[in-house]
Amino acid sequence: MKRTAVYPFTAIVGQEAMKLSLILNVINPALGGVLIKGEKGTAKSTAVRALAELLPPMAAVCGCKFHCDPHSSQLCDDCAAKLAAQGALPEETIKMRVVELPVSATEDRVVGTLDIEHAIKHGEKKFEPGILAQANRNILYVDEINLLDDHVVDVLLDAAAMGVNTVEREGVSYSHPARFVLVGTMNPEEGDIRPQLLDRFGLSVVVTGEHDPLQRVEVIKRRLAYENNAEAFIASYEEEQEALAEKIIAAGKLLPEVTIADNLLETVAKLSVELGVDGHRADITVIKTALTVAAFNGRREANLDDVKQAAKLVLPHRMRRRPFEEGELDWSKVESFLAAEG
Amino acid sequence: MRTETLYPFVAVVGQEQAKKALLITLVNQKAGGLLIGGTKGTAKSVLARSTQELAGGRKLLTLPLNVTEDMLFGSIDIEYAVSLGEKRFSPGILARATDNILYIDEANLLRQELLTAVLDANSAGINNVERDGISYSHAVHTTIIATMNPEEGTLPAHILDRFGLYVDVQPLLEVNDRIEVMRRALAYSKDIPAFRAQYTAETQSLAEKVAAASLLLPQVEASDAMLTLAAQLCAQGYCAGHRAELYLLEAARALAALAGRSYVLPKDIEEAAQFVLPHRMRKPPEQQSEEQEQEEQQSEEETDEQENDESDDDTQDDAENNELPPPPLDNGDADNYDENNADDNDNDKDSEDDEQQKEQNNSNLAPEEQIADIDKSFRLPKMLLDLGKDRAVRRGSGKRSVTKTDLKQGRYVRAELPKVKVTDLAFDATIRAAAPYQRLREDNGCALNIKEEDLRQKVREKRIGNTFLFAVDASGSMGARERMRAVKGAIFYMLQEAYQKRDRVGMIAFRRDKADVLLPITRSVDLAQKRLAEMPTGGKTPLADGLALALQTLALQNKRDSELEPILILVTDGRANAVHEGEKEPVDAAIKIAEKIGKAKFTSVVIDTESDFIKLGIAKKVAAAMGANYYTLQKLTKESVIHIVRNLN
Repeated sequence: MKRTAVYPFTAIVGQEAMKLSLILNVINPALGGVLIKGEKGTAKSTAVRALAELLPPMAAVCGCKFHCDPHSSQLCDDCAAKLAAQGALPEETIKMRVVELPVSATEDRVVGTLDIEHAIKHGEKKFEPGILAQANRNILYVDEINLLDDHVVDVLLDAAAMGVNTVEREGVSYSHPARFVLVGTMNPEEGDIRPQLLDRFGLSVVVTGEHDPLQRVEVIKRRLAYENNAEAFIASYEEEQEALAEKIIAAGKLLPEVTIADNLLETVAKLSVELGVDGHRADITVIKTALTVAAFNGRREANLDDVKQAAKLVLPHRMRRRPFEEGELDWSKVESFLAAEG
Repeated sequence: MRTETLYPFVAVVGQEQAKKALLITLVNQKAGGLLIGGTKGTAKSVLARSTQELAGGRKLLTLPLNVTEDMLFGSIDIEYAVSLGEKRFSPGILARATDNILYIDEANLLRQELLTAVLDANSAGINNVERDGISYSHAVHTTIIATMNPEEGTLPAHILDRFGLYVDVQPLLEVNDRIEVMRRALAYSKDIPAFRAQYTAETQSLAEKVAAASLLLPQVEASDAMLTLAAQLCAQGYCAGHRAELYLLEAARALAALAGRSYVLPKDIEEAAQFVLPHRMRKPPEQQSEEQEQEEQQSEEETDEQENDESDDDTQDDAENNELPPPPLDNGDADNYDENNADDNDNDKDSEDDEQQKEQNNSNLAPEEQIADIDKSFRLPKMLLDLGKDRAVRRGSGKRSVTKTDLKQGRYVRAELPKVKVTDLAFDATIRAAAPYQRLREDNGCALNIKEEDLRQKVREKRIGNTFLFAVDASGSMGARERMRAVKGAIFYMLQEAYQKRDRVGMIAFRRDKADVLLPITRSVDLAQKRLAEMPTGGKTPLADGLALALQTLALQNKRDSELEPILILVTDGRANAVHEGEKEPVDAAIKIAEKIGKAKFTSVVIDTESDFIKLGIAKKVAAAMGANYYTLQKLTKESVIHIVRNLN
């Protein structure tokens, strides 16, 4: 194999909720990522890695270690200083990417640490950025996130909550923007995920193996074709891949113009109160997701169906839950509520 | 922290209590800082961070959870030492936070020694540094604002007590408020500068109000009558110590200053009491049961259940409502916030309904096979592991015990001189050790010439959980419905604790002619609870098989993860009666295997459920053979703590 071939996103059979949730996060990184729960062999990792091919280009400050957005007010200290001094920032176009956080990663690699080489050669302290620096404005992917060490989870929580990575360790004091789309996969049989981390995920989906025999056959067929000749297989999906990539870019452009009617905001608020969802993050995320769904479908106004689709992705993992209570979302309750509202 | 992207304080919908508490904190440093508690998504952190704009030039410094000690307390200035060969103090966060604001997000997840050290240094007003060859002390005078989500464990009472003020934030329940929250969140994310511009004037005038109040504060006087009122309120709340009165007066002075008055009114004291008393109120001494006093003596770290109570009413409820205990939390045992209590009560009602339903279902089952439900009202003392000081190097991930770890994992907490060979070099500490001598050493082309004596080893810490293997007797003799309910209740309770502490659990059931692994050892306590609920009872008691399978599982677990010693919890009435071919005595066979478990030095607990009139005492013999801690089910409910000590053999 010349280069690591990636199974095309559009060639994944079924798993529509998972695919949609990933796409929505690419269109609108402010949604807060997605947690994908499912058994082994349900294309979880394949889908996340395949997503990399569909990621849109973005403007970044030339030479910035954190690829700051030159058009945003959320800049790192260096870029902010540069902007103040020069009045403008040099720009380049880079591709959004998937940054992987291995479960075995040590904390110093995640948050960054003292640059040892620089310290020894020059006797000066310098910050060496870690995975969170790479992850700024990108997708941070954690496979088997439920197995991540507690102290690394703490660091992720901190960064995800503030959008900033603050480092006060090993002689260095530094902070830089760390806004990332957190994508985690987990097999629930291997243990639970901490409630505070769960809440940081905007969306969640549960994937199961396909049950339809015809679909299952299709899964195997494609897999065999891919293994037989990856390049030819990838080439056969090129058109579909391009179409989807363009659709994502178009949706990203449309998103700021998408609106939602006031009565739908009211519907969402009532739904949250009715279901007893914790906090306000659920409401806000449902609305943002609904707007993104509308943008993905090329519409300028989000409707009740968008809200419904959003609720299905946002609410299930946010039901108030204590140990040993199922805390499961009764979807029929949501449906009948929305039907009555609509 | 820069302010360009902050969500404005005044744009937060509702949460008036939290806002008031923050203003008091900003105006009067002596009010002792503020801890904001509340469930997720209630704008705790947004509010805390937004105070930056009201702080009148003071900076908001973040104390990250991954802070190392040298950065917190300060250490040697490496660059200065290298270039001049002299030792100089390099200030840590504590020094930088002086006359500024120190913000701790998710304070309950910070290492408790560090949190205590920070709070103590601030109340003492001094930071003494003795490390890396540096001896230095400097004044500390900062305002601490912390947040926590009690879902992952609250702070122990002795730490809560060190915060002057506490406020609990709850999500808004009014539909119109929620809509406004959404509207503003959308507008904010759409265009931050435009959103912030709408609130500039309001923010400005509030910042001026805070500045004026701070200026007025030194002139605000509290009369003797106000002192008396403060003392009375604190006495009514049975507050420990006298810190409460001082914080109460300082908070009241801040409120008076905010109102533009130079004297304190009773309403100031009363309002301040809402923030100063909730986290330090106790039950009247006569109501504090002996049990809790004992617990307090046992460990300072253990939270007194009463201390988190929001009001006396709550406490009453709790005492009367002897049903489902609130979920035990890390180090503590209660988060008795209003809402939780209300919910717990609801749940109890629900589960009663369920029970009735299940009883009907049960009657349809064959008489020898039944599924007892879980008696969720079963209340056990909490388990206290007393396995001796864990100085051994271990690995694992969980919350029950903090331990040193030899893998290059875990949080780097400090550096030490290597004992044998350096395996995990602490570069920063090594450089700090080498720095002062650079001018004396020969030039090697680099700025630093590091010698062997400079090398320092990282000390890493990791919280590890324990592994509990439940071996449950599910025979017919246990199946008398009430007994199995109680047994399941006891296990359920232990599982609840395991959930909080991120322990691992496994479950074996033995009945009829064999033992089965219901659940291999896993982190998923949820799954254990499900299997427990489904576990049927009936048939004979193959106690020996159960023990044999337990031994096998323990040995396997030990091999796989020798660092995390598993603990066996055997629940049985001891009435072994299933006989295999070639064996004569089921009881003897069981005791033989119990001896093997004892010899293998596994720590174990036997919970004897025998309640028949004539007791055979077999479980007790089994316990003796295993070297197990022995409890009867009846006795357990009366104990305050289950002491689990190392193998008694």
